[in-house]
Amino acid sequence: MAIAFVSICITGDFLQEVLVVEEAAVVIVVVVVASVVVADLGTEVVAVGVVVVTVVDLVVTVEAVVEVAAEEVDLAAVAVDAGAEDVDFVKRGGKAMLEPHRHEGIYIARGKEDVLVTRNMVPGESVYGEKRMEIEDRESGNKVEYRVWNPFRSKLAASVVGGVDSIHMPKGSKVLYLGAANGTTVSHVSDIVGEEGAVYAVEFSARSGRDLVNMAKKRPNIIPIVEDARHPLKYRMMVPMVDTIFADVAQPDQARIVALNAQYFLKQGKYWLRGHFVISIKANCIDSTAPAEAVFAGEVDKLKAERLKPLEQLTLEPYERDHAVVVGVYRPPGM
Amino acid sequence: MLVLFETAAGFAVFKMLKEKALKDVDNLPQYFASAESASQMVQLAGFHKFKNSAEALAAAVALNEGKACKPLRSVLKKVMKTEVQKKLLVLDAKLGTSIKDKLPELEIVSNSSVMELIRCIRGQMESLIPGISEKEASAMMLGLGHNLARYKLKFSPDKVDTMVVQAVNLLDDLDKELNNYVMRVKEWYGWHFPELSKILVENTAYVHTIKLMGMRTNASTTDFSGILDEEQAELVKEAAEVSMGCQINDEDILYMRELCDQILDLTSYRSHLSDYLTRRMTCLAPNLTIMLGELIGARLIAHSGSLINLAKNASSTLQLIGAEKALFRALKTKKATPKYGLIYHAEMVNRAPADCKGKMSRMLAAKASLAARVDALSEETSTKIGEDSRVALIKKVNFLSAGKSHQLSGRSKHQAKSKPHFSDRSGAESIYPVSQDTTISAVKRERTDDEVEQPAAKKPKTEKLEPEEGGGEKEKKKKKKVKSEPVESVVTEEAVALHDVSVEKKKKKKKKKCKEEDEQE
Repeated sequence: MAIAFVSICITGDFLQEVLVVEEAAVVIVVVVVASVVVADLGTEVVAVGVVVVTVVDLVVTVEAVVEVAAEEVDLAAVAVDAGAEDVDFVKRGGKAMLEPHRHEGIYIARGKEDVLVTRNMVPGESVYGEKRMEIEDRESGNKVEYRVWNPFRSKLAASVVGGVDSIHMPKGSKVLYLGAANGTTVSHVSDIVGEEGAVYAVEFSARSGRDLVNMAKKRPNIIPIVEDARHPLKYRMMVPMVDTIFADVAQPDQARIVALNAQYFLKQGKYWLRGHFVISIKANCIDSTAPAEAVFAGEVDKLKAERLKPLEQLTLEPYERDHAVVVGVYRPPGM
Repeated sequence: MLVLFETAAGFAVFKMLKEKALKDVDNLPQYFASAESASQMVQLAGFHKFKNSAEALAAAVALNEGKACKPLRSVLKKVMKTEVQKKLLVLDAKLGTSIKDKLPELEIVSNSSVMELIRCIRGQMESLIPGISEKEASAMMLGLGHNLARYKLKFSPDKVDTMVVQAVNLLDDLDKELNNYVMRVKEWYGWHFPELSKILVENTAYVHTIKLMGMRTNASTTDFSGILDEEQAELVKEAAEVSMGCQINDEDILYMRELCDQILDLTSYRSHLSDYLTRRMTCLAPNLTIMLGELIGARLIAHSGSLINLAKNASSTLQLIGAEKALFRALKTKKATPKYGLIYHAEMVNRAPADCKGKMSRMLAAKASLAARVDALSEETSTKIGEDSRVALIKKVNFLSAGKSHQLSGRSKHQAKSKPHFSDRSGAESIYPVSQDTTISAVKRERTDDEVEQPAAKKPKTEKLEPEEGGGEKEKKKKKKVKSEPVESVVTEEAVALHDVSVEKKKKKKKKKCKEEDEQE
C-alpha cells in the first residue's frame, strides 16, 4: 500500500499540477491555495484543504477540490481588481487617512506625518501617555480610536517599521511575551491580537509588575505573570500552548530562556501550525566587548542548537543602536 | 503509568495507554497531532476542579513552593486506588519529592521525556479534559494570573489610593449638593415663613427647626431647646406670630420635612466620609498627612491621579498644583508666576506672615514632595521623615513670624551664646573704649562732667545695645558705619546726636532680637 502526497498549488495564473496515482490505495491530497498577493497591500489569502481519498474516487474528488479552490482564487482576483481602481482600503476621516499595514491588526495613519497605529481596545484611555487619534470608519460611520505606536520606544514597532517579513501575531493568536516591563508594547500586542487572542505577559520586577497588572485590569486579553522567565515551571498553570513567543528580556542567557520557554509552551505542528518566535537581541547586553554582528551570529547559533530555526534577522537602526530582531520557527522538519 | 498535569482549572491525572510511545520522544508530537489520536494515548483518570479562585490561588502558591497541597494529594489517592502501576510522571522534580514524602508507594519519574509528554498533553488540553470548556479554562487562567500577581506584589487594600481620590471627589460633590438642597429648602419654606431664613442663618439650625416645627403656627407650642438658644427661639416665636408668609397644606409640609430628612442624612454622611478620608489618608500616606493634613494631601493625590504620580512630580510642581491656569497664563505673557497653588491652604503656609507665604510654600512643597516619595515608594511604612520635616518647618515658621529672615550663622551664634550676662557692667574691658581711638582729645576733657552723666544715662540704652556687638557681624554692610561708632561715651555733640539716632535706629530694628537674646540669657 503506497501513500502518496499530492500537492496542488494554484497561483494567480491558475497553474495546476495534478498527479494521479493509480495503484495507491490511500492518497492524501493537500491542496494549498497559497500566496495570492494583492498588489500594494500584500495581504495573503491562504485556503487549505486536506482530503483523504481512495483511488477510485481520486480523479473526481481532486477535481472537485480544485474547483472549490478555483472559486476562492477567483474571489481573490476580483478583490485585486477592485482594489486597484478604488483606493478602498484607505479610509478617510478627519485629517488622517488610515491604511492597514501588511501585518494584520496594525495600521498606518497618514497625515502631516505618517505614524504607525493600532486600534485601541479601551477607547478613551492612554496607557503610557501616547497620542490617540479618532478616525471615522467609512463603512459604519463610527469614530474608531487608534493609539500611536512609537518605534523609538518599542522594539516590535521598530521591527515593523524596519520591514520585518512577519511578526506572526495574527488576530486571535496567543502570544507569550517575555520581558513585559510596564506593558507599553504589551498593550499594542493586545490591540493587535484582539479580543479573541491572548497575551501572556511575564515580568519579574515588582515595580513594573504593578504597572503591568494595573494595565491588564482594563484589557481582559492580557494575563499578567509576575515571575522569573528563567523558570517557566512556575507559571505553567497559567499558560497554554502559544503561537508566538516574543522575547525582549535583555539578559545574557536569553537564548536559553527562550529555548526553555519554547520547550514548555511553543507550538509545534504542521507547516501553518508551527510556533514562531521573535527575539530582540541587544549586543551590549550579551557581550559588550565583541562587535555587534559577532554577538548576533553567536546568538543565532545558540538558537539553532536549541531547534529554534531563524528565518530572518533585522537590525533596528535608526531606532536602536546595536540591536537586532531575529524571527524564526520552532522545530521545523529536519531540525 | 500516571501523568500529573496541573491547570488553572484544576489538577488532572492522566493514565498512559501506550506506554511504549514514551521511549520514542521525537515522534511523540505526531501521536498527539489530533484529538482522537491523543485520546488513544492518554486517558483522564482523575480530575480535581478548583471550587473557586481562592482555592486555585492557594494551590498555585503551594505548587510554586514545591509543596503538595491537599487537593493534589486527594486526587492522587483517588486515582491510586484503581491504578495498579504506581508510577507517576511529574514536571517539577521538587514537587515530585514532596509527593513521594506524602505518598511513599508512588514512584516518581521526572525527566526530559516527561517534558515532551506534558507539552503534547498541553497542546490537546481542551479535548483531553472534557469537563472544562476553552472559555472557562481561559477565564480561570486570567483569574489565577491576576490573583497570583497580586499575591506576589503583596497587594494590600490599605495602599489603594483610588479610595482616597474617590472619597475626596465625593466630598466636594456632597458639599455642592448639600448647598443646593439647603438653598432649595430655604426658598421653599420661605414661601410659608420668609423671616426664618433671616433669623437662622446657619443651615443645620434652619433645617432642624423646620423638621421640629412644621407649620409656623406650631412655633409657639414647640420647644426649641435642643436646637436653638433661647434668644433665637424667642425671635422665631415672635416672627412666627406676625409672619407675612402664606398658608400651606399638610401635604406640602410633609414633603418639605422629607427634604429636611434628606439634608440631615447627607450632612451626617458627609461627616462620616470626612472621618473615613482621614483614616484612609493616614493609612495610605502617613508622612504626607503629617505634613500637609488629610484634606490637602487627598486633594493633591486626586489632582495628580495617584500617589505614585504625585511622587514623580518635581517639588515645584507640587507647589503649584491647583494654580495651572494662572501659571501658564503668566508663562505665556511673560509675567510673574504664582507662588502657591493648593498648598496655600496648608496649616504652615497659613501661619506664616503674609510676605513670607511664598517662601514657606516653597519650603513646604520641597519637604512634602520628599514625604510623598517615601510614602509611595518605600517598602516599610515609617513616619520619620514626616515628623522631622514638620518640626523643622514649624521652627522655620516661628522664625519667619518673628520677623527674622534667616538664622544666625555659626560663628556669631557661638559669640552670642558665650557673651556674659548683662547685669555685670563692671567690666569696662568687655566694652571697647572707643574714646581711645579718637583724635579729638581736647573735646574729651571738656566733656568730663557730661561724661559722668552720659554714661549713666546711656546705661539702659547700652544694655540693650550690648548684644549688638556680638550680632554686629551679621548685620548688613550698610549699617556698619553706624554700628562701628562708639556704643557708649561720645566725643562730640554731633557724635552724640548721631549716636542717639543710631541708637534709636538700632533699638527699633533690634528690639525684638535683643528681647530674644535677653530671654535666651
